Amino acid sequence: MENTLLELRGVTKRFGDATALAETSLSIHEGSFVAIVGPSGCGKSTLFNVIAGLLAPDGGEVRLQGELVTGATGHVGYMLQKDLLVPWRTVEDNITMAARLTRRVTSADRAEARRVATEYGLGDFLRHYPRALSGGMRQRVAFMRTLVTHQPLLLLDEPFGALDAQTRLDMQQWLLQVWRDTGRTVLFITHDVDESLFLSDRVLVMSPRPGRVVADITNPLARPRDMETLTDPAFIELKSRIMHLLHGGAS
Amino acid sequence: MTRKLLRNVGVPVLSLLLLLALWQGIVVGFNVAPYVAPRPWEAILSVTQNWSTIWPLALGTIRETVYGFLIGALLGVFLGVVMAKIPVLQRSVYPVLVLSQAVPIIALASPLVLILGFSITPKIVIVAWIVFFPVTVNVVDGLSHVDPDLINLARVYGAPRWRTFVHIEMPATTTPLFSGLKIGATYAVTGAVIGELAASEGSSLALYQEHANSNLNAAAVYGTTMVMTAIGISWFLLVVATEVAATPWQRRSVARHYPWRRARSEASAATSIVSSLSKGES
Ligand SMILES: Nc1ncnc2c1ncn2[C@@H]1O[C@H](COP(=O)(O)OP(=O)(O)O)[C@@H](O)[C@H]1O
Ligand SMILES: [Mg+2]
Repeated sequence: MENTLLELRGVTKRFGDATALAETSLSIHEGSFVAIVGPSGCGKSTLFNVIAGLLAPDGGEVRLQGELVTGATGHVGYMLQKDLLVPWRTVEDNITMAARLTRRVTSADRAEARRVATEYGLGDFLRHYPRALSGGMRQRVAFMRTLVTHQPLLLLDEPFGALDAQTRLDMQQWLLQVWRDTGRTVLFITHDVDESLFLSDRVLVMSPRPGRVVADITNPLARPRDMETLTDPAFIELKSRIMHLLHGGAS
Repeated sequence: MTRKLLRNVGVPVLSLLLLLALWQGIVVGFNVAPYVAPRPWEAILSVTQNWSTIWPLALGTIRETVYGFLIGALLGVFLGVVMAKIPVLQRSVYPVLVLSQAVPIIALASPLVLILGFSITPKIVIVAWIVFFPVTVNVVDGLSHVDPDLINLARVYGAPRWRTFVHIEMPATTTPLFSGLKIGATYAVTGAVIGELAASEGSSLALYQEHANSNLNAAAVYGTTMVMTAIGISWFLLVVATEVAATPWQRRSVARHYPWRRARSEASAATSIVSSLSKGES
C-alpha cells in the first residue's frame, strides 16, 4: 500500500507574530501509522487543526486522496486527550454522534455502533452513560466514535495522555489491534517517545520556535509488538536518537 | 429505596412540622392575641372551612402563575439563545433587560393594570416579567460556556451549525437552564399576587386576604398566605420533577428501557449475549 492518502505542501500557520507552524510538507501513505513527537507548544495540535480544517493555513495546501481540502472540514476522524463524550448520551448514542451531527441516525448506524462496541470489549456498556465508565473505557468509546465516521484518516492528538501507565499500555495494544483490523491511516501525536515507537511505522519529530518537522524516521521494529519490543536494542537506539533530537538540539 | 424516600420526603415534612411547632410555641408562649397572629391550626382550619371560596380563587392564582411562568420561560430561553448567538444583541439588549429588573415590580403593577385592565393579562405579564430574567441570564451563561473543543469536534465532522446547536449546545445548557427555571418558579407566585393586589377590582386570592386583613381575621390572613406558599412550592417541585425526568444521566449509570425504544434495547441485549458468549469461549 504505497498510495499517498494525505499530502501537505508548504503549509504555514502564524498566530499574530508567532509562527506556530513553519513551512511544512509531508505525505502520508495509506494504511500507515505515523507518530508525531515534539515538546509541548511546538505546533503539533496546530498541524492537526490545519489538516482537519479547523484552522485555515496562512500558506500552502492540504490534499486528501489527491483532492484539495485546505480549510474545509468533514474529511477526517479526530480525537483528543479529552474524550469529549457528552454526558447526556449513552455509550451507543455517543458512538453514533457524528451521524447525529450530520444527518439522521439510522438503524444501520446503531447496529454498527453495537457491533464495534461488542467487538472491542464494550458490548456490556452500550446503555451506560459515560459517567459510569473508567478513563480507559471512555477513551475507547471516543475512539469508536471516531472509527464509525468511516474517514480513512484518523487524527489522534495525545489520546492516551491522561491515562495511567498501565491503562495506557492496554490502550496502545488495543489501538494496534483495531488499526490492524480496520486498515485505517493513523496520525498520532504524543510527547512520549516510547509510545511513538511502540505504535508507529514512522516517526516525525517536531521542534518549536518555529514549529517544524526536524526528522522523519522510519520505524523498522517488527510487528506484532509486545513488552519485548520495549527492550529491543533497535528500540533503545531509536529512542536515544529521538531523545537527542528533542533535547540535544540538531543532528 | 425506602431510605431514600424517607430522606427526600420525610426530612422536608419533618422540618415543616417543626416550623409549625415553633409557630405554635411562640404564639402560645408569648401569649399573642389571636387577632395579631393565629395558632397554626386555626389558620389551617380557616382554609379548610372556606375551601369552596378559596379553591376557585387559588385556581385563578395557579393559572396566572403557570401561564406567566410558561410564557416567561419561553421568552427567557428565546432571548438567551438570541443574545448568546448574536453578540451585537447581547451588548445592546442585555442592559435593557437588567434595567427591566431594576424597576420595582410593585411600581410597575398599577400602570400595567391601567393599560391591560382587570383581566388575567397584567398578572401573566408580571409573572413572565419576573420569570424570564433568571432564565435568560442562565441560558446565555450556559451557551457561552459550552466546551469549545466539543464544538470543534462537531465542526470536524462537518456538522451544520443548527445540528451542533440542537445536539451539543442546547443539551449542554440543561443544568443552567433548570437553575434559571427553578429561580423563576420560586418567584412566580409572588408576581401573581402582586398583580392581584394591583387590580383592586374582581375577586382573587390576594384581595380575599386583604379583605380578611381589614376584618382583623388573622387566621384567614395566615391561611391564605399558606395557600399562596403551597402554590409556589408545588410549582417549584413540579419544575424540579421535570428536571429529574429530563436528565436521567445525572443520577443513573445505565439508561432506562423506554417502551418506544424497545426494539433497540432488545437488539443491544442480543449483542450483550453474543459478547458474553464470546468471552466465555476465550
Ligand atoms: N488559537 C491560538 N491562538 C494563538 N496562539 C495559539 C493558538 N493555538 C496555538 N497557539 C500557539 O501556537 C503554538 C503551538 O501550539 P500547539 O499547536 O497547541 O502546540 P502543541 O500541540 O505541540 O503543544 C503555541 O505557542 C501556542 O501558544
Ligand atoms: Mg497539543
